[in-house]
Formats: sequence, C-alpha cells, structure tokens
Amino acid sequence: MKFFRMGKQAVAAMGDNKSRTFLMMIGIIIGVATLTIIVSSVLGAKAKVMKKVGKFGFDQFVVHAGSGKKLGVFRTLDVTTLTVKDAEAIEAELSNVREVTPQINRRDVSVKRGSLSSYAILVCANPNWTSVWKTHTARGRFISDEDISRLARVAVIGKTMVKDLFEDQDPIGEQILINNLPFKVIGILEKRGTSPVGVDMDGRILIPLSTGQKRVFNHDHLVMIKVALKDPTQLDATIKDLRPLLRERHHLQDGMADDFTITTPKQVMAMASKVSSSFTLFLVLVSAISLVVGAIVIANIMFVGVNERRAEIGIRRAVGARKQDILIQFLIESLFVAIGGGIIGSILGLLGLKGLSFFMRAPSTLMWQPIALGLLSALLVGLLAGIQPARKAAGLNPVDALQ
Amino acid sequence: MIEVDGLSKVYVKDNQEMSVLEDICFKISEGEFVSIMAPSGMGKSTLLNILGCLDKPTSGAYTLDGVSVEGMDDDELSTTRNKKIGFVFQSFHLLPRMKAWENVTLPLIYSDTDSNMREKAIAALNDVGLGDRVEHLPRELSGGQQQRVAIARALINDPRIIFADEPTGNLDSTSGKEVMKIFKELHRNGRTLVVVTHDTEIALQSDRIIEMKDGKIVADRTTNPVSAEVAK
Repeated sequence: MKFFRMGKQAVAAMGDNKSRTFLMMIGIIIGVATLTIIVSSVLGAKAKVMKKVGKFGFDQFVVHAGSGKKLGVFRTLDVTTLTVKDAEAIEAELSNVREVTPQINRRDVSVKRGSLSSYAILVCANPNWTSVWKTHTARGRFISDEDISRLARVAVIGKTMVKDLFEDQDPIGEQILINNLPFKVIGILEKRGTSPVGVDMDGRILIPLSTGQKRVFNHDHLVMIKVALKDPTQLDATIKDLRPLLRERHHLQDGMADDFTITTPKQVMAMASKVSSSFTLFLVLVSAISLVVGAIVIANIMFVGVNERRAEIGIRRAVGARKQDILIQFLIESLFVAIGGGIIGSILGLLGLKGLSFFMRAPSTLMWQPIALGLLSALLVGLLAGIQPARKAAGLNPVDALQ
Repeated sequence: MIEVDGLSKVYVKDNQEMSVLEDICFKISEGEFVSIMAPSGMGKSTLLNILGCLDKPTSGAYTLDGVSVEGMDDDELSTTRNKKIGFVFQSFHLLPRMKAWENVTLPLIYSDTDSNMREKAIAALNDVGLGDRVEHLPRELSGGQQQRVAIARALINDPRIIFADEPTGNLDSTSGKEVMKIFKELHRNGRTLVVVTHDTEIALQSDRIIEMKDGKIVADRTTNPVSAEVAK
C-alpha cells in the first residue's frame, strides 16, 4: 500500500515535466524498437530455416562419398568410395531404413537449347528420388524404371531451367543439350526455392542414374546416398549401425578415417543458423549501444533532477520519509520512465516491422519473445540508470536540502 | 517533553571550527508554548533542526518524549519526525505541483495509516480555515494561506510537538496574525509549540522566551505567570 502511494508520487513527478520525461525515454525507445525489429526478424528467419530443414526432412539423412564433406560444397567425381551396392546394402541390412536413393550430383553442368544456355545442378537418380526428396513433378512425368533400364536420355528440369532455356514456354517434349548430349524434357519439378544453405533447388536437372553413369560421366561411383527412415526418432541409432556397415564394406582398418560423411538435419540447421549469427550479433550490438546511451541519458537527467528537487527531498525527509523511501521514489521514477520507453519502443518496433514486411513482401508474425526481451531490457536499464541518482537523492542531508 | 543538556554544535568549514551552539541546557514541558529568540544567523535554526531530529548535535544529550535521540539511527529519526513532530517553515516548503490537500497528506504517505487520506487532509484544512481551498495549487494561494496549508500538513499525523521556524517571516502582518492565532489555539488545545523567531512581538505571544546570543542562552523567562507555573 505504501509502495502504491509512492508509485503515485513518482507518476506525478513524471507528468510534472513531460518534455524531460520524453527526453529520458527517447534512448530506450530507440533501443527497444531496434531490439524488437532485430529479434523479430531473427526469429522469423529462424522459423523460415526450420521450415526449409523440415522440407529436407527430419526423417532422413545423407551419406556423402569421401571424408570431411562440407555442407553446401559439392564433391567432384574423383572420390570413388560410394557405390550402388553400398546403397543396396544399407537398405537391406538396416531395419529402420525405409528407402534409399543413390545419386550422382554435379554442379555447373552446361546446358543449352538453341541460342539459350545455362548452368544446372545435374542430379542422376532413380525413380524413388521423388518420394525420398518429397519433391514431385509439377507437370509431365518423372524418370521411370523403363528409363533406367533403357539408359534413356530423358530429363526432368526445375523452374529456373524452364526460365533460362525456354523463357517460360512449354518445355515438355522439347530437346536440350546436357554436356552436349541431347536429352528430351519429360517433366518439370515443383518449385522448391533455395536450400537451407543457399543452393537454388530450382536449378536442378534430373536424369536417370544409369544414363548418368554410362552415357554422361562414364563413371559408376556415387556422390551421395540419401537415406529415409521408418522411425525418425531412431536416427542416431541408425547412423550408429550404418557406420560399421560401410566401414566393413570399404575394408577400413581400425584407426582409419571414414571415407564417407554423414549429414543429419540437425547439422543442416546448425549450419543455416550460423550464416546469420554474425550479422545478428552486429545488430544486437547496435541496439545494446542505444540502450546503454539511453541509460546514460536517464542517469544524467535524473542527476540534474535530484539537484533541482533538493527542496522537495528535504521536505519529504522533514515530514518523515526515510532514506529508503526517497531511494524507492526515485527508482520507481526511473523504472517507470524506462518501462514507458520500453512500451513505446515495442509498439514502434512492431509498427516498423509491419512496414518492413510490407515493403519486403514478407509476412510478419507477432511474437511474444521480442516484446518480452524489449520490456525486460528496458526494466534493467531503468534500474541500472536510476540507482546512482536515487542513492544520491536518498543520501542528501535533510538540513542542507531544505536550505 | 523536551530535555537538552550541554548541547553544542560545531561546523568545520575551510579547516576552521565554527561553534554555532554552545552548552545549551533547557527543559520544555508538555503543553508549553515557547519562543526561542535570537538575531538572524545566531544558531537558532540549527537548534530547531536538532530539536526537530533533522540534524544531530556535535555533543550533548537530547531527550524527546522520554526517548534519548542520540542513539537513534536515520530510520528511527525519520519515524520520529513522522509521528511526533510537525514542522512549519518560514518559506512554507509546499510542493508546488501538488494541490493543497495533497500537500497536507505528505506525512501520511510515509506512515502506516493509509485510509481516508483525502478526508483527513480536508478535515485538517478545515481546522485552519481553508476548507474552500482544498483543490488549489500553492501558487494559487496567498502566503498566509500557504502557511496555513503547511500548518495543516504539520498537524495531519497528530504530532506531540510543533516546531516553527520564523513562521511569520515571509508574511504580511495580517497573515502573520492569523498564523499566530492558529498557534495560540493549538496551544489552548494542549499542543506543545516551539517557535523560533527574531521578532519580539511574535515571541511575546508565547508564554516563555528563551533568548540566545552567539550560540548561548542568555535569558530564559516567562511572559505569562500561569504558564510559568506549568513550566516548573
């Protein structure tokens, strides 16, 4: 009750000098507004990444040929450790494996059609590629078993390729040159955008694995095997079983490094969040600096206020205010100013976010975390900025203050 | 009520000791109306601050209402000021942004009783004849009215004793008389009053005058034989 009464005194003091109160708030307002925008964007971006990783699939992982494969970096074909037989063994011997799809991938493969040309990510795969990658054809058909057995020169192309080679005209049934070999376009892949690590998934061209091995690369070894699981919660256990299986098949002695690399969705996620973290850190630093400046402004104006209000402090002390009553009164004032600034800053930040998402045509979602963080940091700033001036006010000698 | 024995106050300024009060001894009984008279700047405000628990003496004993003040810490002094003492200052010392009734409630904010603050304040303002100025800000009131608000504030917690420091010093003679009239009424109702003044006319309205010069008591006399009896 007494606290409530003193809160009222503090609010009255704030209203007493509105322009000063606003000045005290402005640093906090800017700091909290930027913080709200930053945290919202970062969380939004993170949610986006999660969505993309979700597309990659939490029920699957990838085995790449060679050791130390890095995410987003494509292997050349000179690593000859992974074979179709390995893929078949994985599917046959590991009980939690639903299906596997062996692939040869190659980046920057030149493709042409008449005077138009582009560079594609060439993926040589089997018919079950669509179910493992959860990517289907938007139009036309996918590679069939017959295409595999006939080493057919057929291709399924992504939306970027349609744009680059056909200028958005209907490509189905048309011919394109891949590595100067003619292929017939039989289907178009549905749009997938960029991968979590920034690869254009619509720049892909798929051809039958057998065709790739025999006719394009003259090379039987695989670049990767994608493994889909029955029970995604057993992912770690499955990987644990897979390693000795492949090591044995590859005749690796104890102490020798794996000649393959396993990439899990978790690793993809970690990689994707690493990309934005340094930029985020910079932005957080900016808002932290404005909060610190806000704190300094509040502290300075509070010090001036304490000097100007010596008489008031003296009067309050004379009628029985204890040191701690004065301390609390001034602390409440700085807290209220800071929280007021925090609330205004949050609102401005959310409005700014709305404006940003309008200009960037990206949907903005209202999240509680940035608001909570903004208000919490405002509270902290108020407390830290107010403590010294409040102590000075409380420490004034009542006799001196009254003179 | 009040008992001071060997009270002294020494200020140190620029490495020079300045004695403001020297060996002050007196007693004030409950219900007395006492004036402390001295020329300006002769330590009487310092004495009043010490008596009012705002300041501490350099040495000497002070007992207020049977309790020794020297042993009190800052919080206890604050509580004593809040509960037992009412102050009236020369320059009123009202908070400018607060209405009359809010100024009057100020001591209540720091005490435990918190019910009906406004009603209590209005009653106190009625007692000093300002029932129609409850919602006014200090700057909307005359000096005499402001001082009466200050008196209402001093009385709101029903203190045992009122200390007034030149209460009529900033007032014209009519307002001064009004203030003194209120003081005399308080005295009649049994309240203990200590008024510091340099004005003989004011001092003569009390029933005992303690005269000081150069930090020492030079005279202590009664002006009213009836009160003098009480003093003994």
